[in-house]
Amino acid sequence: MRCGGFRTTYVADDQIFETVYPKIGIAVLGLALAVLPGLLTSYWLDVVNRIGIAIVGAVGLNILTGFAGQISIGHAAFLAVGGYATANLAGREGWPFWLVLPVAGLVTALVGMVFGVPSLRLKGLYLAMATLAAHFIVEFTVQHWDGLTGGVAGMSVPPPRLGALSLDTDARLFYVIFAVVVGGVAFATNLFRTRVGRAFVAIRDRDVSAEVLGVNIFRHKLLAFGVSSFYAGLAGGLLAYQAKIITPENFPIGVAIDYLAMIIIGGLGSVLGSVFGAVFMTLLPEVLRLGFTALSGLSPKLIGAFASIREGVFGLLIILFLIFEPDGLAARWRTVKDYFRVWPFAY
Amino acid sequence: MQRVLARSLVVVAVLGLSAVSAAAQIKIGGLFDLTGVTSEVGKAFAQAVIDHVGLLNEQGGINGQRIELSAVDYGYKIPQAVATYKKFKDDDKVILINGWGTGDTEALKEFVSKDQIPYISASYSGHLTDPTKTPYNFFVGASYSDQIRIFLQYAKESWKDASRKPRVAFIYSDNPYGKAPIGAGRQYVKELGLELVDEEVVPPSFQDSTSQLLNLQKANPDFAYVNTTTSWVALILRDAQKLGLKTKFGINPYGCGELLPKVAKEAAEGTLCMMPNVAYGENVPGMKAILDLHKAKAPQVNTDNLYVRGWVYVTVWSEAVKRAGGELTGPGVKKALESLRNFDTGGLTPPISYTAEDHRPTTRCAIYEVKAGKMARVGEYEVPRKKEWLGL
Repeated sequence: MRCGGFRTTYVADDQIFETVYPKIGIAVLGLALAVLPGLLTSYWLDVVNRIGIAIVGAVGLNILTGFAGQISIGHAAFLAVGGYATANLAGREGWPFWLVLPVAGLVTALVGMVFGVPSLRLKGLYLAMATLAAHFIVEFTVQHWDGLTGGVAGMSVPPPRLGALSLDTDARLFYVIFAVVVGGVAFATNLFRTRVGRAFVAIRDRDVSAEVLGVNIFRHKLLAFGVSSFYAGLAGGLLAYQAKIITPENFPIGVAIDYLAMIIIGGLGSVLGSVFGAVFMTLLPEVLRLGFTALSGLSPKLIGAFASIREGVFGLLIILFLIFEPDGLAARWRTVKDYFRVWPFAY
Repeated sequence: MQRVLARSLVVVAVLGLSAVSAAAQIKIGGLFDLTGVTSEVGKAFAQAVIDHVGLLNEQGGINGQRIELSAVDYGYKIPQAVATYKKFKDDDKVILINGWGTGDTEALKEFVSKDQIPYISASYSGHLTDPTKTPYNFFVGASYSDQIRIFLQYAKESWKDASRKPRVAFIYSDNPYGKAPIGAGRQYVKELGLELVDEEVVPPSFQDSTSQLLNLQKANPDFAYVNTTTSWVALILRDAQKLGLKTKFGINPYGCGELLPKVAKEAAEGTLCMMPNVAYGENVPGMKAILDLHKAKAPQVNTDNLYVRGWVYVTVWSEAVKRAGGELTGPGVKKALESLRNFDTGGLTPPISYTAEDHRPTTRCAIYEVKAGKMARVGEYEVPRKKEWLGL
């Protein structure tokens, strides 16, 4: 009788999903996502697309901060680089989207590696300051290099084309975004089963020991920044296609903080955590807005300064969440799964 | 707190109302800033639009049909504005949008042209005046560019020293709203033969402008035009007073009003304000409805020219919707707007005219001066309606 971690072949050892049930679950999820655009209104499709973009960005940041341990507040800057690279390549040069997105990702990866150089000397909060500098440098460049970025007026991005079909509605763009999401999540999950991924984790846990064991810190830290920025570039490019107009105001420092919040709430060092965190942080303002609009009909006196209270509740929920579930949503998900797996026993 | 509660009560009540009302045929979208960096001027404007729509509905609506206003707070964030626009277009199917900020209006201008939804923005950006580029954009008042020209003209005319040219400077915020009139301003300075000695850029929100004003002090301008909103203008004036600057400041319509002397106190004395609409309580026929409403629904929380501005916006677009008659579509309302010729808003603004070739409603703007904490009308000035200035 099988019990615990019982495997008989190396192939079985390498499986991500040990039983068939998660695979069925993923197939059902895939089917549900495929029919989703037909069921949602335009506003909620916009929200779902933004969730998809957030997932890609959050997975990227989790690779850098959660797995490789390099704190980065520069994520908004890398999104901006990806977005403007896409706007230039798709808008000005007219390249097709399946070429633009990877190239934008590569451009952002290079920029990310340049700004990742301080990580070779700095750790923790000091590195955070260096990446904050990256944010301000990119923000300033975007606002003032009018020739490349259109300055504060921004740039418009034409919709992606698939042959004769123009993917200009949110419903059609949904499939592109979720194709990238699926690819990105699969790649990240597999990354941490390879030597490179394990090297990242070793650097996070104790980089001196990692160096002693033969992990090239220099190469792997830069690679972490590169891979993370590639994801950010993809997310920025998808954002450019989805928003159709990008301006410097799309990438304030608040976006970088939002992404950090996503991975902390979702769970550092977990790809599934990034997904949960992205969904939570994107849906929370929408749910709050709906809730307050509905409540306003019942007891207006209670709501008072309607819009300001909503902002306050948002912050409060994040704080409460971190107090009661500091390891993130991924940990809570694992706990719940384990509970049902061994039910009715306690362990 | 009571005022905030009462004010928000109306906002919230109407938001709830708009979600519940049935059989309303005139759907209007309202994009407002209640929590963002321009919210100190956005709240009064939003309240006025909501109040005036409420009043019109009480009086039977337009041509017997109720107006359904979808009021949304987008916090001056462009991505929120774009998402809300999609909601207005696809879910609410609005025939007109009462917009707000320059950044998002300019970001949406291609969308509204393609989707054919008239967009009346609180932003007076000169880039929205050329129908060949932005056929569906309108606003009610002289453009920011014309306002800066009027200020420069006033500066030249009030300059008494014949020995030298007057020195002017521009202070503006680092966003599309701040930068909108500066190009036109630079060009007109050359045309009038004035001397542009300095341009200072401030962030959209800040705590201290001393470094920019120290630079200004070195250049020592006689006149300075400030293009940012009231809270930030108050900080600039306070810092200018601290440094003892002798510059005469001219402020754009979203940086000045009854709110400015309240915030900046003595630092605001002698400041000139560009006012496309009259101050609150001015003795004009159109003010009666506003004063009556405030008397009936106390407390009087929004006694501000921004309230008058929001009010007159509804005056103009409701007239257009009335003229559109049965053709309640985006293009129908656009045509109706373009049929307005010297439309009298009850004296709240100069007469408004739009044509299919020119979306500048007027090239006249009043200048007020802050005297003893109150707005005192200096006069109404005009610049010529030059064809080459269209779209600038």
